[in-house]
Amino acid sequence: MTPSDSLSQGQGSTTVEVETGAPEVLEKGYIGQSIPRREDKRLVQGLGTFFDDVRRHGMGYVHFVRSPYAHAKIVSIDVSKALELDGVYGTLTGDEVAIHTDPFFEMSVEPGANIKDYALAVGRVRHTGEPVAAVCAATRELARDAADMVEVEYDPLPVLVDAEESLKDETVLHEDAGSNTVWSGIFDWGDVDQALADADHVVKIERLHFHRFSSTPLECAGALVEYDKGTAEWTLHCNHQMPGVGAIWMAPALRTGIDKLRFVTQDIGGGFGNKICLHPQYVVLCLMARKLGRPVQWTEWRTDQHTANAHGNERTFMDVEVGVMADGTMTGFKVRALDDCGAFPRYEPLGCIIWAQVTPGLYGWRNIRVDFTQVCTNKSPVSPNRGYSRMQHLWLTERIIDIVATELDLDPVEIRKKNYVKTEQMPYETPNGCVYDSGDYAAALDIALELIDHGSIEERRKDAAGRGKLLGFGIGSTLDSGTNNFGQSTLLNPELQFSGNNEAASVKLDIFGEVVVTLGTVPQGQGHETTAAQVVADILGCSPDQVNVRRGHDTWFNSHAGFSGTYASQFAFTGLGAVKGAAELVRDDMVQLAAAVLQAPVEAIELADGFARIKDGPEEAALPFMALGAIVNANNAFLPPDFNPTLNHRYVCRPYFGMVDTEKKTGQLTLTYATQIHAAVVEIDPETGVVDVVDYAAVDDCGVRINPMIVEGQVHGATTHALGAALSEEFVYDEEGTLLTSNFYDYHVPHALDMPPLKTGSMESPSPVAPLGAKGMGEGGGGGIHCVCAAIQDALSAAGKAIVYTSCNPPHRVWSMLQDPEPTRSNVSVVSK
Amino acid sequence: MLLREVDYARPATVDEAVSLLATHEGARPLAGGQTLVNVMKARAASPDVLVDLADLAELRTIGFSSDGLLEIGAMVTYTQLVGSSEVEVARPILAEVAATIADVQVRNRGTVGGNVCVSDPTNHLPPLLVVLDALFTIRGSGGERIISADEFFVGVYMTAVVEGELLTKISVPPASDTGDGFSGVTIGKHGTYVVDAAATVSSEGVRIAIGCVASTPVRATEMEERLAGGDFSEAAVREAAKGLGSSLDPPSDVHGSADYRRSLAETSAVRAVLQAAERRRS
Amino acid sequence: MDPSAPARSRSISVEINGESVEYEVPARRLLVHFIRDDLGLTGTHVGCDTGNCGACTVLVDGVSVKSCMLLAVQADGSRIATVEGLAGNGELTALQRSFNEHHALQCGYCTPGMLMSATALLEQNPHPSEDEVRVAIQGNICRCTGYVNIVEAVVAAGEGTGA
Repeated sequence: MTPSDSLSQGQGSTTVEVETGAPEVLEKGYIGQSIPRREDKRLVQGLGTFFDDVRRHGMGYVHFVRSPYAHAKIVSIDVSKALELDGVYGTLTGDEVAIHTDPFFEMSVEPGANIKDYALAVGRVRHTGEPVAAVCAATRELARDAADMVEVEYDPLPVLVDAEESLKDETVLHEDAGSNTVWSGIFDWGDVDQALADADHVVKIERLHFHRFSSTPLECAGALVEYDKGTAEWTLHCNHQMPGVGAIWMAPALRTGIDKLRFVTQDIGGGFGNKICLHPQYVVLCLMARKLGRPVQWTEWRTDQHTANAHGNERTFMDVEVGVMADGTMTGFKVRALDDCGAFPRYEPLGCIIWAQVTPGLYGWRNIRVDFTQVCTNKSPVSPNRGYSRMQHLWLTERIIDIVATELDLDPVEIRKKNYVKTEQMPYETPNGCVYDSGDYAAALDIALELIDHGSIEERRKDAAGRGKLLGFGIGSTLDSGTNNFGQSTLLNPELQFSGNNEAASVKLDIFGEVVVTLGTVPQGQGHETTAAQVVADILGCSPDQVNVRRGHDTWFNSHAGFSGTYASQFAFTGLGAVKGAAELVRDDMVQLAAAVLQAPVEAIELADGFARIKDGPEEAALPFMALGAIVNANNAFLPPDFNPTLNHRYVCRPYFGMVDTEKKTGQLTLTYATQIHAAVVEIDPETGVVDVVDYAAVDDCGVRINPMIVEGQVHGATTHALGAALSEEFVYDEEGTLLTSNFYDYHVPHALDMPPLKTGSMESPSPVAPLGAKGMGEGGGGGIHCVCAAIQDALSAAGKAIVYTSCNPPHRVWSMLQDPEPTRSNVSVVSK
Repeated sequence: MLLREVDYARPATVDEAVSLLATHEGARPLAGGQTLVNVMKARAASPDVLVDLADLAELRTIGFSSDGLLEIGAMVTYTQLVGSSEVEVARPILAEVAATIADVQVRNRGTVGGNVCVSDPTNHLPPLLVVLDALFTIRGSGGERIISADEFFVGVYMTAVVEGELLTKISVPPASDTGDGFSGVTIGKHGTYVVDAAATVSSEGVRIAIGCVASTPVRATEMEERLAGGDFSEAAVREAAKGLGSSLDPPSDVHGSADYRRSLAETSAVRAVLQAAERRRS
Repeated sequence: MDPSAPARSRSISVEINGESVEYEVPARRLLVHFIRDDLGLTGTHVGCDTGNCGACTVLVDGVSVKSCMLLAVQADGSRIATVEGLAGNGELTALQRSFNEHHALQCGYCTPGMLMSATALLEQNPHPSEDEVRVAIQGNICRCTGYVNIVEAVVAAGEGTGA
């Protein structure tokens, strides 16, 4: 390991190069450079095309009539008054949906499998804001007016806003299922009972709670849908971030073929997992486009998004028991996890297994039991929010570390270093068969500690105390696991026919020598166009400026695969892996063609500077790309019959996982693991509970960085999401199931003045399994939440010693912990030998 | 997000505006719109007629009356307040507080008149104007009247301005041998207040008003009395604040329980008074 | 038409990015929808429904405002500047170039609003400090970047190093 000699101050960054064995990593040319993004040119001019920018002649605007009740029977719906309004084109209700569509595919086993989920509420509403009817009119305002005229009669039912209440099944949300439990199972690896029996200390934590929030992308969901009557095909100009899966839900529901649904995305204003479950609203639009014979458009408004689109999984952890040896080694833990997925599972119950990609967190314990149950409640349905399910679990492991450290009076840095998986152990197989590909957690932690000037913490604590403030320091270690094995779904439901993963890309060389790349992914700001161009430029020996990457996703590009989309921190692996594969096929064509034309052996040909030429050959022995393109496309008669270069290739990157073991619930659930170590210093005003983050460092290791600037941008964004979640962002419900934080006043997200001084550092532990040595990254794993919770707890150690038990700590909650720390303290107990 | 149908008028004079407000039932004045347009987007209220005050130049001035009162036209924006040399000289706390309202865009449009006439308990100016002992000039078809701050704020979204009337200006005594303070806790930097307190310390004693804890600003009269002796040491101020919280009946919501707000009320009052006393000294 | 008589709709005259436009709009139409839907300038975006996010920020008579918090009729007689009017003849401004150089955008949805707020700042204060930039963009929410690179980009544009 070669430590860098430059640690910069302030908002600087530091790079430490770590060399490990890596597979064929391309000789770096453009890869590894922080090339400014090509996406920016249109976006800074306001010339991006987001779905709401698309217009069609004769289009109608749709507004949803939504339930004001969290749980109620629909007695009647009367749209007649709405239809009388001039300019209203038509309506759609649940009755029609139940006739024209089939319920959406459910992934769970029984009873969850029996849940009937339709595009509009049928017979019953199960969360406030649930769409009950839709109205289409000539203008947005008219659609809104008409919606007010739809008369719906409801018969309210008892409301469930608590997962533990829901478990009792006294009120059942889905009669067809007969229970509120979506999925339940026990994961048991090693021998935790023995580990606890052998341990010198057993630390027990009664209850920890990971709260409900989401990434709230600035652009809300929506689509403009056209129906072609002649071909019975729909075109959706939309912002669905996982169209492959969207189509799998929608096509059977609409009783149509998958290829009859054309998804077109262009620019998307953020996704973060909140644009994965848009299929119910999209089905409504498809039905209306067909029924009304005109294009229809729906724009979700902010209140709708908060109330009824997608929240992150809310999870309560109970009866945690952790075995710790006298020397601080943690041997194992067990926990009961209760996940609240809201009114409809949709992408769930996948959250019930996805956490298992990081079962031990960053730590070496070998004995783990997780008793996991997921229930429905009368809250907004969830969808895979940034950090999906791993973040919740990693928060648990970090809370465990800090609480163990507090209770046993161990240093939070030392206990981590002691228990971290060591870099020498990489690749490291976890108790449930996942393989951490590479990383050096201790080294990353050291970088974070240096950036935050850990050595001066105690001095700063005294200084803060002199100003009447409580200073606290906290670490948040986290993993960003990427490239999902969809086979993990069979660990929840062995009947599911899913396994592996794939992503596609196409590369071609056109007649005038232009390189064109088509992606299967659906970027929402991650810079895919730029990074794909970097990779292709290095493979084809040209400049990225010669590479045109088409914007967005289009089903008709035929450049996607079943799991296509941008999610699960996997673009650098599967997305760029597909680009690499396609570019290499084109390169091979070019080399062979040049060899034939220049009458030289294939080994003598190189691609460089935009030419195919003989290495060290005379100047004339060089063909520009245009020449190659022209030959294949327009002037190919002289080529021998058995030689058919196309210069146009589609490649599917299929990462190899092997099959999972459904009995032991083990397997390689994901392929790459990016590390993020965060550290925070906070100052708390003990009279008000206001938490000020005064210093912050985030260190990222995602292996080879294709574009370090883009990687750093993702770290900034993930950190900001985490800080918002840790300090203010919370979806809170009252007893009637009304969401109390449905707008940006009450659901406060970080603004520019809320940001702490943010320092970043990085290191590169190349992935031995990824095509370019680059791991997926971007979700971030919630490191900010983990370290802020730790820092708050550390600060409170001087004033009551409250234990932080929940992931969101706005001022009023911190104040409560200061006023009355006892309930949080009695949550924790230690049994020592 | 989308408003109901509404009629819109843009009068050229204050008299025309008053006449429109008096003639049309369900007419509302439109000042900066930073609250009213939001309310109409949510369809929480839908006036029949909007009377846009934008062209009423006489409501946009800042100056001094003949007896030295700082006069701020109702249509003066927060940005104007922040940049005004008159305000800086006469009563800088107004600019200081206005500079923390929301953000630049809101400050460019939002008006002092709007801020007080909305009478939202969490608005910045009501508790401040109460302790500054401001006067409110209201014009109706019958003429003009002047109301004190204590009488101006009647309840949530309710002020002494009745239908057919318009607030035209707010008059504030200039600070002389006076220190002003303002303290509280917001939802995020420059966000909405959870609890706030305004205080002035002058030769006449101390005035303290707490916002966000009742339908209108609450004068902390007991605390004011205890501080009448002029001892503004931290110990004395903290002592004087005791019991303020339990005398209040604040709301409980997502941002804090009633008990939290009671505690914040005491803390904010103490800090505002200490700040005011410190400024008077210097 | 007598402007002081209440009317359900109104013919307004605005100058938008230097061009004069006359249009009949319903009184209830928000300025942002007038700009996007009636004038077809879709660079200005909608991100919320309570006037918090600033994605809709434009300049009205030189001053930054949230166009979702104004009715189109209120802009009658005003000069409006939107993001489309920044680059002249396709030549990006120093600020736009600085955004690109400093990776100050990811999804680009908040970017037009950010650029308008920053443009207004730089017109008044050509060399802002980091804190001054933060105050100027406090009314513009970004969910992608954490504002780090945005602040850097605006400061650099102010120092002339964004050129």
